[in-house]
Amino acid sequence: MAKDGYTKVKRMTPAMRIIHWVNVISMIVAVATGLYIAAPYYQTLIAEPAVDKYVMAWNRWGHFIVAIIFDVTSIIVAYLFFFSRFEKPYKKILPTGKNIKEFVEVFMNLITLNRRKNFDSSHSDSFNTVYFTIFHLLLAWMLFTGLQMYVHGLASGESSIGAWWPAMLHLVTDWTIPVSGWMVGSGPTPSIMDVRISHHITMWLIITWVVFHIYYQVWRTIFWQEGDIAIVVGGTKFVKSDEKK
Amino acid sequence: MGMDKQESVKKLFTAQSAKVDTNRGDAYYEALYAKCQERLDALKKLTPLNNRRDFMTTIEDEGLERRDFLKWASATTAMLMLPASFTPLVAEAATLMNRVPVIWIELSDCAGNSEALLRSDGPKIDEIILDIISLEFHETLQAASGHQAEKQMEEAMEHFKGKYLLFVEGAVPLGMDGQFGTIGAKGETFVDHLHRAAEGAAAVVAVGSCATYGGIPAAAPNPTDAVGVMDVVKGKPIINIPACPANPSNMVGVILHFVLTGSIPELDSLLRPKFAFGYRIHDNCERRAHFDAGEYVEEWGDEGAKNNFCLYKMGCKGPMTFNNCSIIRYNEGVNWPIGVGRGCIGCSEPDFWDKYAYERPMANANIKAPTGGVEKTVDQFGLGLLTAAGIGIGIHAAASAIAGKKEHEKEEA
Ligand code: HEM
Ligand code: SF4
Ligand code: SF4
Repeated sequence: MAKDGYTKVKRMTPAMRIIHWVNVISMIVAVATGLYIAAPYYQTLIAEPAVDKYVMAWNRWGHFIVAIIFDVTSIIVAYLFFFSRFEKPYKKILPTGKNIKEFVEVFMNLITLNRRKNFDSSHSDSFNTVYFTIFHLLLAWMLFTGLQMYVHGLASGESSIGAWWPAMLHLVTDWTIPVSGWMVGSGPTPSIMDVRISHHITMWLIITWVVFHIYYQVWRTIFWQEGDIAIVVGGTKFVKSDEKK
Repeated sequence: MGMDKQESVKKLFTAQSAKVDTNRGDAYYEALYAKCQERLDALKKLTPLNNRRDFMTTIEDEGLERRDFLKWASATTAMLMLPASFTPLVAEAATLMNRVPVIWIELSDCAGNSEALLRSDGPKIDEIILDIISLEFHETLQAASGHQAEKQMEEAMEHFKGKYLLFVEGAVPLGMDGQFGTIGAKGETFVDHLHRAAEGAAAVVAVGSCATYGGIPAAAPNPTDAVGVMDVVKGKPIINIPACPANPSNMVGVILHFVLTGSIPELDSLLRPKFAFGYRIHDNCERRAHFDAGEYVEEWGDEGAKNNFCLYKMGCKGPMTFNNCSIIRYNEGVNWPIGVGRGCIGCSEPDFWDKYAYERPMANANIKAPTGGVEKTVDQFGLGLLTAAGIGIGIHAAASAIAGKKEHEKEEA
């Protein structure tokens, strides 16, 4: 129930909220297992012969399972980005005059510590949408570089589900080798290690992204006093009735 | 650097998996068999060139038996992914190795691959074969020098035009118009030397990682602007046999394939023969069970090391390296790096010196920033980024709190 002078607005559908929390859990698992794969940071203190304990194997398995979940949610998010019946996010990142103005206003609001607030905060603004788009681009890069590393294990060109699977992965992800080589800086021939370095560094970019994301949502909640943090739980927030246009 | 745009776009979409079709049906192998036989018959009619040593007598001189040779022939047939029925042909091809002229040039290198090829301590069949090949020109091995050597090379190139295999060892320095490396009495640059030698070659074989990708001379900061043969020679079949040094078995495999079929073996996207580089070290490593179990050597000589645990945390790059040493090993199968208790340094991959050989997991190794300057590990870089973000957020939060408080006081007043 809305307090006097406040109106309740719907911001996230149940599907969007489920995806959000699935992504949160997947991200925690991906980082924890990814760091173990990179440099195993705990010892296996199990007095069993090697064949009975699969500590690295389970970490890799966990990493791949969340990778598959990310694959699926990314496809859904990409679909919603353009075709959602609720709010089509792509409309908010087009560099139209209106979007640029809104972007600048929201940014000004952030750096003037909420002294200036000249935009409508009842709907998802373009600053937020751009910020989320960056996240999904980083995640897409993780997917492509991750699948490139995954296909190295299928060196024979065969897989239990057929030769089409590694062939498709090569077709879809081989471009990440020269692109990573360019980003990381390689000699005349880029190498698959460039892809791995890039996958690892991108993890840090994502973690940094997450830290600011959490801070900013809490900050909005405190200073705007519109209950923004509740969006991701109940799907709604409140705006002052006189502001709602 | 080097590669033009069109070429790199083409490369982007043509990477092939390492898959070699090992069962192409009887019709294919019958046709191939006939073709190989025809070729061997033709080669038999030629008299040996420079090298007149007879293969079988050499084998016996070295104290090996015919049975050893036949065992070798069947193993090599399998390595080349041919059906067992080809074994007699492979054996015959081996005895005809001296019919195919080889010119071997050295550029920015340490002669380590020549060294591998000539390993004289109890030569095994692979090494004997490499002794027998018709080395028409090899700067390090021949007696001739100066103008005389130059003349010899010119004669060999002229005489065997379009027929010889050119083996190149070492990187090609391109900086300062190639003046970082010159050779011969005329002071010809390595680039020009390579172009001249490649001109009349049937195929160019780059041996070792330096000739393949630039290798050690191309390691950061690459002062001579060194690149590999494939970055310089265009319009010729090129076969790369990287590794440091290249495994003599793989050199023999390539030459044998050429002697036998007159063509080059199937190659992967880095132009490496798939029969040798179609395997990942990690997938054929005897320590793999320890990897999956999470049992790692933590420091040299610890309990894990004594129990042959996985070398991943000591920087093994087997998971990122394609080569067949985990299968065929070195020195006729005696042992290989991981077998003796040290990690793989990825010697057959591009940029191996900078990106694989640091003997620590990648996450703990110093990596150059794209700008080339600071060296930090990826995790230090990441934590730095995170700290910067944390400081920014802290300042913003504190400022917001103070500003909020002032606002509040104003309202109350
Ligand atoms: C978005 C979250 C993700 C994070 C934070 C993450 C993080 C990491 C990290 C830190 C590593 C270790 C790299 C190193 O050696 O330094 C790694 C490895 C790897 N990741 Fe991810 N990753 C993510 C998503 C993915 C996805 C979507 C895939 C797709 C399949 C994937 C596949 C892989 C593979 C194949 C490896 C190499 C593992 C091995 O060789 O055993 N990752 N990841
Ligand atoms: S020693 Fe190296 S190649 Fe062998 S299992 Fe461990 S990481 Fe893989
Ligand atoms: S184990 Fe690795 S570094 Fe050693 S020879 Fe083989 S590919 Fe090269």
